Amino acid sequence: MGEKRSLLSIFSNRCVSSFRLVDNHGSQHLICFRTKRTILTSMITSFLQIAFAAVCCWVLFITIDIIWALPREGGVVGADAIAAAVEKAGGDIRGGTMMGNIVSSPDASAGTLLAACGVYCFGIPGGLVATVLVYIGNRICYDPGYAGTTGCFLATFMVYLGTQGGIPAEFFIAGMVIAILTIQGISHRHSSRLLGAIWRLRK
Amino acid sequence: MSEFSLFHVLEELSGPFSSPLITPPAESAELATLLCGVIALYSVIRIILEPDVMRKLPFLNVFSFSISGIIALMIPHPLGVIAAAAYFIGSTFESNAIASTWAGGVEE
Repeated sequence: MGEKRSLLSIFSNRCVSSFRLVDNHGSQHLICFRTKRTILTSMITSFLQIAFAAVCCWVLFITIDIIWALPREGGVVGADAIAAAVEKAGGDIRGGTMMGNIVSSPDASAGTLLAACGVYCFGIPGGLVATVLVYIGNRICYDPGYAGTTGCFLATFMVYLGTQGGIPAEFFIAGMVIAILTIQGISHRHSSRLLGAIWRLRK
Repeated sequence: MSEFSLFHVLEELSGPFSSPLITPPAESAELATLLCGVIALYSVIRIILEPDVMRKLPFLNVFSFSISGIIALMIPHPLGVIAAAAYFIGSTFESNAIASTWAGGVEE
């Protein structure tokens, strides 16, 4: 018998090959011979790329949401209730309305995230598939679907240009999560005031 | 006989995690996944600490963003984007339902 591999080892190898989180236990040199860069400098470069992608995603989805006038009125009753809760906590009513609309329907931020996922998995066709899915999700959530569809369509090409320019698509996914964190996840009072100020600037 | 055993056949088969369309995630994808996971944990802590129910929902939105990002990053397959989109749309619809119900529903 030449090979004595068990069924379990084949399956475990297969699983490990697609989820290898830790695979350089001292086997990797600290300085790359080809590019003369250390692991530290390449990590700093990665974080700078993620920050750049986050700024791009932030500007894109705020611009498209403001253009399609999400802060004007709540699309459903729940969006108005979230706006009232944010205002009660010391925030701005227009910014709170926009935050409620983001929560209760897939808008341009969801479009940007799913476009980045689509480009990461399947290239530009994946982004277009994500656009169709965002439109279906908008219709499910009782929304006309202009902001989400436009955002997903434009973000597909933004992410594709980013991958051509050296920023991989997975950094755009992380960047979009960071961008939504700054709006929805840190301080509702300050972020709603910021959104309200941008909305008054547009008017 | 041992050259053509069951193991060789199994190695050639494609499964949901071993199709030829899947390349193993790169290290940059692992960094992005780690970042999404940290943000998901942070948003869960904020959800637990927030007393107002309506203001829990934006943190829940951040959580579902992170999880759908992790789904797409861990399944680099054309169907991974459909899985991520289905999860995200479903969680948004649930947030919509929770918010509208808590606000008193639609008045006739």
